[in-house]
Amino acid sequence: MIAIGDLLTDQPVLGNYFAPDAYLTGDFESGLIENRRGDRLLALPETLIQGIYAGLDQELGSASGIVLFNCGRWWGKNFYARFAEEISEYYHKSLAEMEMVELIQCLKQCWKTHGWGTFNLELDYYQQGFLVVQNYNSPFAEAAPSGDRPVCFLEAGILSAFFSQLTGKQLHCVQTSCESLGADCNYFILGLAERLKAVEGWLSENQDHQTIIERLKVSKAAH
Amino acid sequence: MNSNFQSLLYDAEERYLKSGEIDALKSYTTSLSQRLETYEILRDKEIAIFQPIANQLSASFQGQQPDLERSLRNWLAVLRYCAIAMLQNNFEFLERRLLEWLTDIVRVHQVQAIDSDLYNVLQKQISSMLTAKQYSLLQPFLAQAAARLVPDVATLSK
Repeated sequence: MIAIGDLLTDQPVLGNYFAPDAYLTGDFESGLIENRRGDRLLALPETLIQGIYAGLDQELGSASGIVLFNCGRWWGKNFYARFAEEISEYYHKSLAEMEMVELIQCLKQCWKTHGWGTFNLELDYYQQGFLVVQNYNSPFAEAAPSGDRPVCFLEAGILSAFFSQLTGKQLHCVQTSCESLGADCNYFILGLAERLKAVEGWLSENQDHQTIIERLKVSKAAH
Repeated sequence: MNSNFQSLLYDAEERYLKSGEIDALKSYTTSLSQRLETYEILRDKEIAIFQPIANQLSASFQGQQPDLERSLRNWLAVLRYCAIAMLQNNFEFLERRLLEWLTDIVRVHQVQAIDSDLYNVLQKQISSMLTAKQYSLLQPFLAQAAARLVPDVATLSK
């Protein structure tokens, strides 16, 4: 026998914490944009992102990708801590107590509301040891200079740090398709660094995402 | 606030509102007392609405108590969000605050059979507790939720 009164006294089902109209607020008197907890947010002009790419490229050349990746890792580490704190507080449960699907929903909505594009996590290759992230409408791909390789190093760094903390394993992240190169979306593959080593070579051979992921699956089989 | 009204108020900074625009505002404000009444009934009768549903579905889905409890919790939230969306006459509120969030979660749990039955009984329960006018204010929001959460039933009842 289910008593509705008992269900109601437990924690109720809550909706989307990151709904944009609820999440983004402002203390306009003091010139601040804030999230619904009162943490400060910052809007980045597109030209600043373009300037960061151009400045790093001028100073560091091909090493700028590694710098951006490491910046992303720092960002991702802090982002994970803040994200975990915010959603645990709102939904009254720790990340460990949340179902995977709820956690992924939170991340998707959070990503979207911050204006980083629309995010999707594919678990099809989980058994082989890889996670695949799809991101559409990346502001970082849009502002990037045109080149011949994927350029979303910041996002790759964020994803690497975020999923490393989430899974408790040191995961690397490689981008295998990029909107800046005319692809429909940005694909990122997450996995152990040694398992992803060969990807760099395949990218220089201009292999597409699907070919790369198929080759990775086979590499697992040969392991 | 209803986003249409929000944009009307922005327009009103540049010019006075046209008669048609004022009529839309009037129709909403005159319906507001009915919307509030409907909201209060749903709030006060939350248990009365859902307990018979829980009893009926417990019999139909024996051995699936955890799934049934989860579905009941979800639909308690759906009705609560529909009620507040109805109060504001704001479909976008329901979509952004709940449906965009809940749809994937519900799909993963694969409880379509429970949710479909639950929605069918819920409609009957609510319509028996509200007047036709009150139900007509709420129904479009229930239908919006059903279209996302129980698409098969929503298509059939069209």
